[in-house]
Amino acid sequence: MSKLSYGPVLFNWSPETWRDAHFRIADEAPIDSVQLGEIVCSKRAPFLAPHLPAVIERLQAAGKEVILASPALVTTERERQAVRELIESADLPIEANDIGALPHLAGRPHMVGPLVNVYNEQALAWMAKRGATRVTLPAEIAGPAIATIAAAAQALSVEVEVQVFGRLPLAISARCYHARALGLHKDGCQFVCGQDADGMEVTTLDGEAFLAVNGTQTLSQSYHALLPELGALTGAGVTRFRLWPHACDMVAVARLFRDVLDGHAEPGPALETLRGLLGGAELANGYYHGKQGVAFAAE
Amino acid sequence: MMDDDPRAEPERDDRILETMAARLALLLARPLPPALLQPPLDLVMTILKRRHPGAFERLTELPEAEIVVDPIDMPMAFRLRLGGGEMRLSVCRRDDIGEPAALVRGDFAVLLDLMEGRTDGDALFFSRELTVIGDTSPVVALRNAVDGEDIDMLADIAAMLGPFGRLVRPARGAASRARSSLVGLHDLLLGPALRRVEGVERRLTRLEGR
Amino acid sequence: MGAFELICPAGTLASLKAAVDAGADSVYCGFRDETNARNFPGLNFSRAEMRQGVEYAHARGKKVFLAANTYAAAGRFAPWKAAVDDAAAIGLDAVILADIGVLDYAAGRHDGLGLHLSVQASASNPDAIRFYQEAFGIRRVVLPRVLTTADIARLNQEVSIETEVFVFGGMCPMAEGRCALSSYVTGLSPNSQGVCSPAEHVRYEERGTQMVSRLGGYTINVFEKDEPAGYPTLCKGRFVARGKTSYLFEEPTSLNAIGMLPELKAAGVVALKIEGRQRGRAYIQQVVSAHRAAIDAFGAGRAVASDRLGAVTEGGRETTGAYTKAWR
Repeated sequence: MSKLSYGPVLFNWSPETWRDAHFRIADEAPIDSVQLGEIVCSKRAPFLAPHLPAVIERLQAAGKEVILASPALVTTERERQAVRELIESADLPIEANDIGALPHLAGRPHMVGPLVNVYNEQALAWMAKRGATRVTLPAEIAGPAIATIAAAAQALSVEVEVQVFGRLPLAISARCYHARALGLHKDGCQFVCGQDADGMEVTTLDGEAFLAVNGTQTLSQSYHALLPELGALTGAGVTRFRLWPHACDMVAVARLFRDVLDGHAEPGPALETLRGLLGGAELANGYYHGKQGVAFAAE
Repeated sequence: MMDDDPRAEPERDDRILETMAARLALLLARPLPPALLQPPLDLVMTILKRRHPGAFERLTELPEAEIVVDPIDMPMAFRLRLGGGEMRLSVCRRDDIGEPAALVRGDFAVLLDLMEGRTDGDALFFSRELTVIGDTSPVVALRNAVDGEDIDMLADIAAMLGPFGRLVRPARGAASRARSSLVGLHDLLLGPALRRVEGVERRLTRLEGR
Repeated sequence: MGAFELICPAGTLASLKAAVDAGADSVYCGFRDETNARNFPGLNFSRAEMRQGVEYAHARGKKVFLAANTYAAAGRFAPWKAAVDDAAAIGLDAVILADIGVLDYAAGRHDGLGLHLSVQASASNPDAIRFYQEAFGIRRVVLPRVLTTADIARLNQEVSIETEVFVFGGMCPMAEGRCALSSYVTGLSPNSQGVCSPAEHVRYEERGTQMVSRLGGYTINVFEKDEPAGYPTLCKGRFVARGKTSYLFEEPTSLNAIGMLPELKAAGVVALKIEGRQRGRAYIQQVVSAHRAAIDAFGAGRAVASDRLGAVTEGGRETTGAYTKAWR
């Protein structure tokens, strides 16, 4: 039975928005696992902390698996300390999003997030040997490679998760582009990233929609959407599908994916419904089909 | 292969290159029909193939593409056909450039420096001294293949040209010397140049027969 | 060797010789396939050329490292396995790796073949480095270009293996090995295919007196006549955000930390690396000799000239990048 996972919120939502979004997922969405935590910018993390216990409780009460996600780029001593504390104090499973989290997780069951590079079955096997129970693959891996890795995963009893919805995390930096765009520095950023719930839209000089900036992170402006591909992915042995949280109606998005997985909705019309839920935004599935990630290929 | 190793005297390599380039430039400067310029250009290709089979192979194995190299201070441009198992260099008039896969444009001296490996193509591009229009991939491949070779190919030409290679003694320095020496070289070289090509080909044939 | 080991790039045999002759302590290069992160047309080494290169360097007491620093493709491990095995057979001194699968294969397999962790692995903290050290026995880490010199100094207090940092050349503003910008518009990525902004997806067009650079069909920059240019990478492109046009990520610029040798020495850095396997041998010759002179001057306590390399930099501009905190 395939499962749906709700990735960590990548954007700087207000703490109340963040809390309420998760409450709604707990109460209404056919989501099986939820990753919590600020993985993009350590400066934002303190704001979520007060709401974390209530969100965990509500999700668990609703029968969701709750996983704490570790930060994506750890450079300062303070950030490193935070990772250590997160792992040592938590009695919840951890998703590692930086290799630096792995030594603290040795021998303990854990997840490996999509921002750690697992591109092949050799790396997967190595992660499994070290205690990884679930690995979410990087976005740029194409369908046949996913199938190869998923086949190996079954033999290793590791679960493979694939990103199927949302603006794709494409890059992470030590520099804050949100601050830079507004003439600020990362120190003294005034948390301007909070002004864009789905990231700051970036267009080309010709006015074409292109990227989205989320603080130190750069995302696609198109929404990655694998719906017709779910059947092939499931057939290949992929058991869990990640939805990245966005400001749109995520409960409806989750239901749509659930319905297609369960055979209660046709993928083609579901894509149109999804486009509607996103106000007509561009969709993309190129990576899966071995093309440029921005491409949207009809099957 | 040679009696004396031309690489033993690196300055001579430089002069030879200048000589060849200047000669071609001179020929280009005259209202000659392009067909008359073909023999020396074919010779350059023959020598490349013989002396640098690796680079030649790399270039001929690429997808077929046509690059026009346009020295803006010369009256004509070069057309280089790469890929598909062969390589051919010819000249073309500027009003007959057509739509090549890529166009590389710059001062003759800049292009010459680039060919010699004296200068960095990326730096020329950054400073806009070198312009690339169209598909960059055959240009990058060409640059890498040329840059990966020492210029002993031209020293070879020199050795084969015999005393011709020693006729010219331009000052050492930037490649612009090749251009600045054009005027002085004009009378000296233009006449014998085409006849000499035949001699070089004979010598080449002899060498290959060894 | 002087105050630092000087690690220099080579995309061709001619460049390798130029680097050695200009004063490199070690040269890094790749095989001509997707196993290395500068997989450009016409560049890199055949096995025979690598053998010649190693012979040339070893005869002069210099080392050669193989960059096999892409992530192995699923179901197609052979090229990466061959790269590691051939590096050992040819006698290279070390392999520079990023992929955990490849590291796992190479660990302890060939005596005398050192393992270096590539910048593409993005090991940006002591925990990550310790992890690679304990798991695979790496003896050196190339630090990602996201750290300040203060970060590096603190890191070196905790890390027992050698650290190598980039001192000059092209600079990714993103954490290396964690960037899919190129593949998003071209389908080809540094991680998988070893190319960022592959030439076959780059086009330059003239628009009146302007030059337009396009990547994968997207306009990523428009240059006025004679305005300095950079590489056609997304991260050095000009875009519009909130109605304002800017170099959103980074200007066309090159890293130049030649003036920071004292800070880098104090931070415990062992080796300095020059970027640019895709550059011509004129660049190699010029940049390597400038760094040789700088390192020797620094070692002898003399002043270091840092203003000699402007002509080879992207956009004619230099930065000390993430080494100073203000960059962030």
